[in-house]
Amino acid sequence: MTVVLWVGVVLIGGAGSVLRFAVDGVIASRTGSAFPYGTLVVNLSGAVLLGLITGLAPGRDEALLAGTAAVGSYTTFSTWMFETQRLGEDRQMRNLAANVVVSLFAGVAAAALGRLVGSHL
Amino acid sequence: MIADCLKLTTYSGERHRSGRTFLADAQLDLFGRREITTSILLRGAEGFGLKHHLRTDRLLTLSEDLPVVSVAVDTRPRIEALLEDLPAVEHRGLVTLESARMLRGDLGPLRLPDELMGAVKLTVYVGRQERVYRVPAFAAVCELLHRRGIAGATALLGVDGTAHGRRRRARFLGRNAEVPMMIIAVGSGERIGRIVPELGGLLRQPLITLEQVRVCKRDGELVERPHAPPTTDELGTAMWQKLMVYTSERALHDGQPVHRALVRRLRSSGARGATVLRGMWGFHGETAPHGDRLLQLGRRVPVVTIIIDTTDRIATSFDIVDELTAEHGVVTSEMVPALGARFGE
Repeated sequence: MTVVLWVGVVLIGGAGSVLRFAVDGVIASRTGSAFPYGTLVVNLSGAVLLGLITGLAPGRDEALLAGTAAVGSYTTFSTWMFETQRLGEDRQMRNLAANVVVSLFAGVAAAALGRLVGSHL
Repeated sequence: MIADCLKLTTYSGERHRSGRTFLADAQLDLFGRREITTSILLRGAEGFGLKHHLRTDRLLTLSEDLPVVSVAVDTRPRIEALLEDLPAVEHRGLVTLESARMLRGDLGPLRLPDELMGAVKLTVYVGRQERVYRVPAFAAVCELLHRRGIAGATALLGVDGTAHGRRRRARFLGRNAEVPMMIIAVGSGERIGRIVPELGGLLRQPLITLEQVRVCKRDGELVERPHAPPTTDELGTAMWQKLMVYTSERALHDGQPVHRALVRRLRSSGARGATVLRGMWGFHGETAPHGDRLLQLGRRVPVVTIIIDTTDRIATSFDIVDELTAEHGVVTSEMVPALGARFGE
């Protein structure tokens, strides 16, 4: 069982990161903006999903697959940090501050919202 | 020695393929096999091509498939022979062929040909770790250009290429001492002509090209709009125009670095393509030549934005360039025979 489970983590994890690449790519090239909307959308939608999943209180294995594997690989902290640093290099101080503040506060709110919805389903 | 030569430039994407290998690798393999005197592969920092897909090193996902520019310079027959075997860039890139003068070996006092008496683009090829009097060669060249009153210079780091006919490819681990770099500067033919012998004294194996350009803008002031060249040359090759915009990472337009704003505006205006190359050393005007520092927030290095398009469209693009370089930057125009220009039409 555990082998199947870990193979599942590998496959779902891989799919999650491909999904992020696709979503981020589409949003970033559509907006063409200096602000990293793609990463923001990925992280916020991931936060809602993760809140929702934990709100639903699934079993241990389901939580591992849906939470850690799927949402864990879909969202990205490092890209958020990397793109924030790049905004600094370009002297985009307002965008830099907005990227940190909005991601942080909207992210916490998104997770809370997901959890609230999940626990009422 | 001053020789008539051709400069072959291709603009494509880092991940474009040619059969089973990457297009850029296939090109450089060919340059290596043919022992091309000098060639260099440059990675762009931002840009878009015929399909208008924006690529930028600012966003992680969009930094996949950044633009690449390969340049090969050699005598006319050797470049012409190369063209037959050059892997096709297909529907996503551009190939241009420009004439240039190449100077190598012993560079004594020289008289430049008449066509180079106006504005001239000087390109000096050096090795990454090449040194002159214990200073990096690229820094020594920039210093000399600065001291002799040239308005600006940009040193671009190559990742692959040939130098004096030998393949020099950068590796992840290794000194990469002889991987080529190029230093670009624009000045009057008369002034550049006086600097060339000095460069000859500075460098052990000088490799320099000179090209005729027109200066359109200098420090925000309009000198002249790009001239409309004939749309084809005597052989029927389409004649396009190339604008090169030399700015600094420090120069902002509306809170954004000029080159970033420029790429976005050009893309939404329907221009055929633009490529930004970021220098690793250089200067503009009075400021001393510099690179980036280890501990810094904003970047300070010079950047070059290359815009190639048909004559009618370049007029629209020039209006955008003109607006965004209202205070800063040098803009030059050149006529370029565009060979593999396909627009997916």
